[in-house]
Amino acid sequence: MEDIKYRVHEVLTDGNLDYKQKKHHLAYIAESTQAYPNVSSEAMKALSEKVICDLFEGSAPYRPRYVLPDYKLALKKGVAYLELDPPSDFDEAINFLSILYSHIPSITGYSVYLGNIDQLLLPFADELSEEAIYKKLKLFWRYIDRCLPDAFVHINIGPEDNIIARAVLRIERELKQVVPNLTLKYDTEKTSDALLTEAVKTVFEVAKPHIANHNMTASDFKGEYGVVSCYNSLPEGGGSHTLIRLNLKKITDSHQGNVEDFISKTLPQYCQMTLDVIEARTKYLVETVKYYETDFLAQEGIIKLENFSAMFGFYGLAECVNTLMKNNGKDYTYGHNEEANQLGHRILEEVKRIVDSRQLPYCKANDGKAFFHSQSGIDIDIDETAGARIPIGDEPDIYSHIKAVAPHHQLFNGGISDIFHFDETVKRNPLAILDIIKGAFKKGMRMFTFNLSDSEFIRITGYLVRRSDLKDFREEGSRYGSALFAANSMDNANIDNRKAKRVNSHERTASQY
Amino acid sequence: MSELQANISGIIKSSVIDGPGNRMVIFFQACNLNCMYCHNSHTIGLCNYCGICAEICPTQSLIVDKENKQITHNEATCTHCDTCLKICPEDSSPFYKKMSVENLISEILEVKDFISGITVSGGEVMLQAKFLKEFFTAIKVHSQLSNLSILVDSNGNVAQEKWNSIIDWVDGFMIDLKAYSPQIHKQITGFSNEKILNSIQYLNLKGKLKELRFVLVPDYNNSNKEIEQISNLMKNLSSDVKKILIKMRKHGIRGKYTSLSEPTTEEVLKAKNQIKEAGISLTVI
Repeated sequence: MEDIKYRVHEVLTDGNLDYKQKKHHLAYIAESTQAYPNVSSEAMKALSEKVICDLFEGSAPYRPRYVLPDYKLALKKGVAYLELDPPSDFDEAINFLSILYSHIPSITGYSVYLGNIDQLLLPFADELSEEAIYKKLKLFWRYIDRCLPDAFVHINIGPEDNIIARAVLRIERELKQVVPNLTLKYDTEKTSDALLTEAVKTVFEVAKPHIANHNMTASDFKGEYGVVSCYNSLPEGGGSHTLIRLNLKKITDSHQGNVEDFISKTLPQYCQMTLDVIEARTKYLVETVKYYETDFLAQEGIIKLENFSAMFGFYGLAECVNTLMKNNGKDYTYGHNEEANQLGHRILEEVKRIVDSRQLPYCKANDGKAFFHSQSGIDIDIDETAGARIPIGDEPDIYSHIKAVAPHHQLFNGGISDIFHFDETVKRNPLAILDIIKGAFKKGMRMFTFNLSDSEFIRITGYLVRRSDLKDFREEGSRYGSALFAANSMDNANIDNRKAKRVNSHERTASQY
Repeated sequence: MSELQANISGIIKSSVIDGPGNRMVIFFQACNLNCMYCHNSHTIGLCNYCGICAEICPTQSLIVDKENKQITHNEATCTHCDTCLKICPEDSSPFYKKMSVENLISEILEVKDFISGITVSGGEVMLQAKFLKEFFTAIKVHSQLSNLSILVDSNGNVAQEKWNSIIDWVDGFMIDLKAYSPQIHKQITGFSNEKILNSIQYLNLKGKLKELRFVLVPDYNNSNKEIEQISNLMKNLSSDVKKILIKMRKHGIRGKYTSLSEPTTEEVLKAKNQIKEAGISLTVI
């Protein structure tokens, strides 16, 4: 109790936190008084040693980690709980969504998914001029950034070229906001070169959108999908109860034996343990908290339990491969050597096989299996590289980079991302980026984005922060919750010194107190 | 495939600065000018197997076989200190390679999904026009490569028949002009510029001149008269030709030319304004 009192006091008196942030942290402390969902002592030990990491979801899950409301359905039916009738014009639709967004739960307290916004708003845009749409959307965008100040808040556009998608890109370039994060769904058949060029020019200004391979991603889902938070692809009208990630570096460090032993013993043992944690947390949310019976979103069909699954994530593949190689007497590194790359693919295929062969409760969206996700890292990852990425600053040339990572992109129905780096000269030649995007998708990549040297924005892993916000946060706190993660990441991961800019993060904030 | 080979000093598989889109750039060895500010002076000459580079190499990574005209380079021990390039009396390099059309085609096939086209550069690429003709034909008749655009980056210092031999296969030429007056041109490059001026007019007439670049060198080609003549030349070219003013940069130039000075912001502005006043749309890089 004394410990709790102390932690609460720390939050209350921390001048770097605003009122809402304090409230969020206090809730986390309150949640931590509950016993962790029932898992083996072995799994608890792995959790406490961060061999298995629950990404600070909290010890008593009372809301799903990723919720992707079926906004289209909500707009059609209205929302009784919020006393919202179906909108009849553009202004009403924006107002409707603005209200609904603020009621969507997540780990950070802000919705990770705001919908495929062009598709949602197009039916209301018929009568409006381009300029009118632009003006209304610009105010909407300002609302999103100011009232949902979290870089994990994510919105989608595409794949079709349309007036709203174009206005969104124009507004992004003008406002230069961190929020919302943005993905363009790209389809060779449906997305015009003109829209893709607009997107690339926007990347030059604000380091977003990410570009998602629409056909490849859509084929992994029964219905519509969304790209949310840090490159998680999940079903609309559902989402993921939880995301638990396995630290491949740590399990390799403690592994005794050769590569074959690792793949046949150590790896399956920890994968099953991770799946145990996923199962226990899911059951707690569904059976103990009864979230899907009691929340208005579920009661009104805006989300459905049958559209949910859970996510199995991992990180530190590069370190895992390099260590196994080294122990085998070979100084080959992941991203630079074919044998090392092949070992990486083999490990991922094995994990995928294990994940797919374990039936989990309440995971109907993926036929009882967890979605497989290459987790893009958080601020505490000092020694581990995000997901299956090549370590920061160690990336080979762009073709070798794509050749090394593209073969495993197909495994990740839950999403994966890689980041390519360019210097500023590319700004004079956006067509060059179009060439690379098209080539990368031809090679089977699922999703990626670009960072430009000297950009005002830094992509920490999946999310963005402004350079200036990082500086300000250190001095006086920031309106954005994500600036704290970023500040930690910058301190921990040498981000300012690298060719690359990334290392994702999320929920550490609350757990610090 | 033919037995023809070219001396290739380097290949960049992804360039965003050598024409529109992502491009593969192939650099050919040997040049027929000798510009004071050349940033890649080791691409000017051809190797005569004198062996000086091997003698001076601090890690003994080069072996020159004079008899068989062969150079062995040990990649594992080379530290890329470039001492060999700096010492070469021929302004050449021990690293360029003989490559066939077939060799180059297979290099392009590796990256074809990622590029808009290829750019050939130098050295002076037009010195190997015969090879280019075969190379470009091979690209354009190849079922997987025929969509690629072909750009030629040249100093323009060749006769008309050389252009004619490849012009049908090429999407555009990018030509550098070092000076308008033949005397100044000779000071900067060691050679006169009649052929270059003719080439510019000819390629413009044929609708194949894509870019004309003028490199500004203070105390050599930035007098009012020189800029005026350059402006007149630019003005008579098609408006489709992109006109570029390049600031001379000293990065990588040979030791004996370090006394050259880069243009100041004022000097660039003055030249730019003078050209723009002649009604020319100009890019400065």
